[in-house]
Amino acid sequence: MFRTVSQRYPTGFRLVATVVLCAVALAITFVLTPLDDSKLAGGAAMSIVILGLSWLIGWSGQVSLGNAGFMAIGAYTTAIWANHHTTSPIIWSLFLSTVLGGVSGFVLALPATRLRGPYLAGMTLAFSFAVAPLAIDSRSLTGGSGGLFINFLNSPSWFANLFSGSDALVKANAQWPADVAIVVAAVAFFFMANLFRSRTGRALRLVRDNEVAAELVGVNLQRTRTLAFVISAAYAGLGGSMMTLLSGSVTPQTYGLTLSILLLTLMVLGGIGTLSGAVIGGLIYSYSDNIVSIVNKVTGVNPTSTFGANLKGIVFGVLLILTMMLAPRGLVGLGSYLRRLVRR
Amino acid sequence: MTSPTGALTLSVENVSVHFGGLYALSDVSFDVAANEIVGLIGPNGAGKTTAFNVVCGFLRPQSGTVRFPHLGRSDLRPHQLAHAGIARTLQGVGLFERLSVLENVMAGAQSRPGGGVLWGALGLPRSSRGERLLRAEALSNLERLGVAGYAASLPGEIPYGIAKKVAVARALMVQPSLLLLDEPASGLDENELEEFARVIIELGTTTSVLLVEHNMDFVMPLVHRLVVLNFGQVIAAGSPEEISHDETVLAAYLGVDE
Repeated sequence: MFRTVSQRYPTGFRLVATVVLCAVALAITFVLTPLDDSKLAGGAAMSIVILGLSWLIGWSGQVSLGNAGFMAIGAYTTAIWANHHTTSPIIWSLFLSTVLGGVSGFVLALPATRLRGPYLAGMTLAFSFAVAPLAIDSRSLTGGSGGLFINFLNSPSWFANLFSGSDALVKANAQWPADVAIVVAAVAFFFMANLFRSRTGRALRLVRDNEVAAELVGVNLQRTRTLAFVISAAYAGLGGSMMTLLSGSVTPQTYGLTLSILLLTLMVLGGIGTLSGAVIGGLIYSYSDNIVSIVNKVTGVNPTSTFGANLKGIVFGVLLILTMMLAPRGLVGLGSYLRRLVRR
Repeated sequence: MTSPTGALTLSVENVSVHFGGLYALSDVSFDVAANEIVGLIGPNGAGKTTAFNVVCGFLRPQSGTVRFPHLGRSDLRPHQLAHAGIARTLQGVGLFERLSVLENVMAGAQSRPGGGVLWGALGLPRSSRGERLLRAEALSNLERLGVAGYAASLPGEIPYGIAKKVAVARALMVQPSLLLLDEPASGLDENELEEFARVIIELGTTTSVLLVEHNMDFVMPLVHRLVVLNFGQVIAAGSPEEISHDETVLAAYLGVDE
């Protein structure tokens, strides 16, 4: 009768599932065009950030409009580190960015976890606003408004040798970053899948659902809320680091409020608080330009007009409203809803 | 008045709480001994809930102490209670609405060691084995209360009487030496009341119980001792038999419209 809750997948299953799904994703990158490879790479990086946000909002019930700021911390950390240690393997960049993202999350959590609802949103919003000006002003460290550039994540020769033909190097250099991003995302998703099923994951949901009862079963509210922030920020830092590695640059304008809101939108579209929702959110990000160009074609809007230039925001806004109205649990929720309909 | 024999699990000593000039509790003292079921009763507004909140650490008294003699500790904060083996149920049911019944009960063991974030993220055997054991233990507690059949349901989907038992099952996960029940009888029908009384008596064989209650018919046959509050003061304490003949108590109850 209670099979569904009493037989949760063990860690071993999660590990195998992660490896299999990761392998499938890697295999797919072999048949994609170089352009699609780069899109997928961006989506993989974003899915990490979305997952971290989902953990914070969906599991701990704290809203953040500041996760783009944590991404900026990771993005700049990677750029600065990579410029000073050009031969250092990227794993160090990723690691440092994750840690510094988490540390900045801790610092913001000190005041933030004392706030609720709109006040918390307002505070993280202020953080989002502050990041770009801070980055522009700290010119000696961040390169000011021009940002920083690092070497592209070019394919190692053993990987390039897998390809032949005239475009071999182009393909290898597009696919290698995508594969790296996929592997990094897979590791991040594996850890999060474990956290979801751990006692820490439950502590977050207890605090979200009923503070008084949570305290009575021994949950330290302040500590749990802070932990949610730290992990969410660490994931944003890791995603930001990946973004710098993929684009070979970081500019302050990238990491403003707009990105924070985009993250929120993607998370809701995919489905709050789920692993697959974060994947879907990342994929939507990857192919958002395709979606917009389809809308362009269907509606006949001139993409160079003012309206056409703002079409992306409009399309996302409409999608967000429709999702909230029709499928509040996101596309993931919509999927399971349809499955139930079919079974009936 | 019979005084408790054996080791004390709770000792409330000269506790006073005032909100501004209003005294909610003045100089309140009472004890709960090991394996004793004590009822805290009194008319509306007598200070029962305030006293309960002081015991739980939700409220800090302006003077006085709440000691847990068997632990050698006093004045615990709410999140420390579970670690110390003290469980409290809430008025209403206080379940976590978006967690299944089984998870709600597992949540009762949140305070146990071995649930660190790093272990959890790495999914190490220690963490997942801990979760498996918790699951089994939660299920056996649900069975003990006869509500295991609802394990997969959400709290919103089950009858109120069942939800109250789930809340008790969750409290049992702490393996409490002291169980605090806040209005366990409220909202239950006759049959459920009788059953719930049996459950509490059974629990009283392994733990001390302090309960706050309105329903006299429910409390009287259940408890070993009663502590009666009125206007923030203890006006009587003793066996149900003694209390039912106590002039002051009768006056307090008759004098106040319920």
